[in-house]
Amino acid sequence: MNGQEQLLNNINIVDFTMVDLALFLDTHPKDRRALDYYAHYSQIKRQLCREFSKKYYPLTMAEADCEKSWSWGEAPLPWEGGCVHVEL
Amino acid sequence: MQDFTYVEKKEERPLAMAYVKWQKFDKVYDELEKAFRIGTIFPELNKPFTGRRCV
Repeated sequence: MNGQEQLLNNINIVDFTMVDLALFLDTHPKDRRALDYYAHYSQIKRQLCREFSKKYYPLTMAEADCEKSWSWGEAPLPWEGGCVHVEL
Repeated sequence: MQDFTYVEKKEERPLAMAYVKWQKFDKVYDELEKAFRIGTIFPELNKPFTGRRCV
């Protein structure tokens, strides 16, 4: 796995963790530790996504660079090999 | 949050009834990659089917 695939894989894993925490929070909205874990991983995911969009391309439009040039269109399309294979 | 706990004498219980205990936030896997492969961050939900019964 090269740097890009590793970073995308890490984003994927942190996102999975947030989804699991969110499912727990749905039924335990006041659970302090779960809230803290969610805030923690959400922060990490934001950093990883910002790093990814600087180094490679934006994963969401919100992260698209709009200073020098619009980078949203730069992401490779799925049928152009844009989808990264996730090794389980 | 309404309290849904429900206590009933063993003999009065129906033959079969699905239940989900109220989960308490205890431990979570700290190795996220391992949790991702397992499919949950909660050890208590890690119940792989072993061909005849769950672990």
